[in-house]
Amino acid sequence: MRSALAVLEEVVAAGPGVTAKEISAALKLPQATTYRLLNLLVGEEYLVRLPDLRGFALGRRAARLALPVVPTPPAAARAVVEHLRGQVRWGVHLASFRTGQVTLVDPDPDHPPSDDVVLARHPHASALGMLLLADQPDWRALARDLRPLTEHTVTDPGELDARLEVVSAQRVARQCGQVRADRGCIAVPVHDPATGALVAGLALCGPAARVAEPNTELVALLHEHADRLVPLLA
Amino acid sequence: MRHGALSGLRHRSPVHGLDRRHLGPPEVLAQSVSSAAPAAAMAAAPAIAATTAGSGTIWSFVIATVVSLLIGSCIGRFTRRMAVAGSLYSLTAKGLGPAAAFTSGMALLVGYGVLVMGALVGSATYVDALLGRLGVEASGTVLVAAAIVLGALVTGGVLARVRLSARVVLAAEAVSIMLMIVVFVVLLGVTPQVPAAVTGGSGVGGIAAGVLPALSAFIGFEAATALGVEARRPFRTIPRVVQWTAGVAGVLYLFATFTQMTGFARTGLATVDEPVPALALALGQPWLALLLDLGIALSFAACALATLNALVRVVFSMARDGIAPAALGATHPRRQIPHVAIAVVVPVVVVVPVALLASGLPAAQVLADLLTLATVGYLVAYLLVCLAAPFFLRRIGELTPVPVVVTAVLVPVLLVVLVAFVVSAWGGVVPLAIGALIVVGLAWLLWLRRRRSAQLAAIGVYDETVTADVLGGHEGSPL
Repeated sequence: MRSALAVLEEVVAAGPGVTAKEISAALKLPQATTYRLLNLLVGEEYLVRLPDLRGFALGRRAARLALPVVPTPPAAARAVVEHLRGQVRWGVHLASFRTGQVTLVDPDPDHPPSDDVVLARHPHASALGMLLLADQPDWRALARDLRPLTEHTVTDPGELDARLEVVSAQRVARQCGQVRADRGCIAVPVHDPATGALVAGLALCGPAARVAEPNTELVALLHEHADRLVPLLA
Repeated sequence: MRHGALSGLRHRSPVHGLDRRHLGPPEVLAQSVSSAAPAAAMAAAPAIAATTAGSGTIWSFVIATVVSLLIGSCIGRFTRRMAVAGSLYSLTAKGLGPAAAFTSGMALLVGYGVLVMGALVGSATYVDALLGRLGVEASGTVLVAAAIVLGALVTGGVLARVRLSARVVLAAEAVSIMLMIVVFVVLLGVTPQVPAAVTGGSGVGGIAAGVLPALSAFIGFEAATALGVEARRPFRTIPRVVQWTAGVAGVLYLFATFTQMTGFARTGLATVDEPVPALALALGQPWLALLLDLGIALSFAACALATLNALVRVVFSMARDGIAPAALGATHPRRQIPHVAIAVVVPVVVVVPVALLASGLPAAQVLADLLTLATVGYLVAYLLVCLAAPFFLRRIGELTPVPVVVTAVLVPVLLVVLVAFVVSAWGGVVPLAIGALIVVGLAWLLWLRRRRSAQLAAIGVYDETVTADVLGGHEGSPL
């Protein structure tokens, strides 16, 4: 157990590409033991082998070992969000997806959003979460448990799949009463133009009945502000 | 910090298009167990081994189990480190290089392809026997019709999403093994418990010769390797499943051998043509024979489907490697299966057995010849992957003494088994078929050397780590 953690630590310290022999030498562990531990950690996906099969790097699962640390967005980005708040009467929230979860980095102080933990754990229910899921090669890896939070929550994998395809195509996610029965949200993504990676989401939240309306102008306003966030967040 | 260590990462896997990381351990296990078809082999293999091993048959199976477990450990050295769709072909490429990998690929096409054909013939034979016991008049037509229906069912199975296909296989194999266990427990329960008498033909030489049929009962246990891309936790699941299959099959065979040896203690197991049905009838339990036929037919059908799943993934990998037509590497966008490879492979493996049965050749002989030919293909592929394991480990700088020792023991054993196998089939059609296949393989290899030398040199496609799998793989500074 201690050795496994030491191996993990050594991969972090040495950086991606470190080989099994180097780890064994650095930790003064017997080679056979090191190889067994490495294979164990690769099997559990805390580590990955790089394409040459010799080098190791941290796998995505290793992110779960650390509390996701998301620094507050730059003042210029907060000013964009504040500008949008001045134009609409609904709650405006900015979330980061850098950690592979929904993390609110600028929640609206006047319209408190749902609990952080609920948003992070149930991405299938929230509009911001659906943006994250729609961006995954396989969303099932992130949303294992499609738990109903209200009677409107989508819990059928097939239906969610269809909805996520719409989200990808239209670049906007909506939910009406899926997290809290009386509330709904519209969210749009912010992509890094260089890599295409999803970095953040901007959401408007209001009464569920109002969110269900087409809201074409509001969506356009959201996209306009999301575009202004791109150079500030990417 | 090594700069550029992550720069070589691709954005998508070279085997993209398959249903990546989706199958749970039971579904992967079903693939291997069904391909080994223990229920079918339980009934037939002990009697065949007994013709040479006599009362030492148990030991032949013990040795075959150990050999299979060791082969499994060699395969595990790869599958703990890489996930493949091309089974042993893609693994061998990483240890021995293109020519050996190509040979392995050829051997697997033969092994898997002919086993699918054999399993269809086997299943049709036992469906025919089952119908015969129920009073349907036996005729060649019933047999051919059964083969066609089974071929259609298997085609439907392989065209379904891999998850559904794996679950069908799991259910069929579970039922067939359960049926066999019931049959054997009943037989054991009603048989006078006398220790097996020495029936001659035993001795060390006899036991060694008995290892041949015993080992051929295990072939297919590595089939889960072809689901490496589709398994949810491939590096953990695949090596375990392959070892488990070898172990479980070994236990089932030892149990079956013990039961049959006890049942035929006086006359000697080898003297009977169809030992288990004979035993059932002798004990006045004709319903057991019905269960037995049903179990064997199901087991063969599951074997055909599971092996076909592996076969099309080998063809798919060869196409992605660029040594087979690129179209065969296409995947269906929704079902996430290699549908073009399936469309090309399925007609061959279904039409050949149907034609063989329709031609009026005795089904038992067709089945025996197909199984022998398939076994030769498997043995070649096993031999190469076992030889490749230490070279692979040395190449990635992770060689330890144990794998070298295992390979040093296994390779001579497998060589002897392979040669003995071919020699034992001498005079029949099998050596002719092998000769023809070698000629075809050589011609293909020479053509590749001349026209596709770059692709040939680079074969060994596998599910590489991509940017999305690595922590911090696709971003610069965090938000």
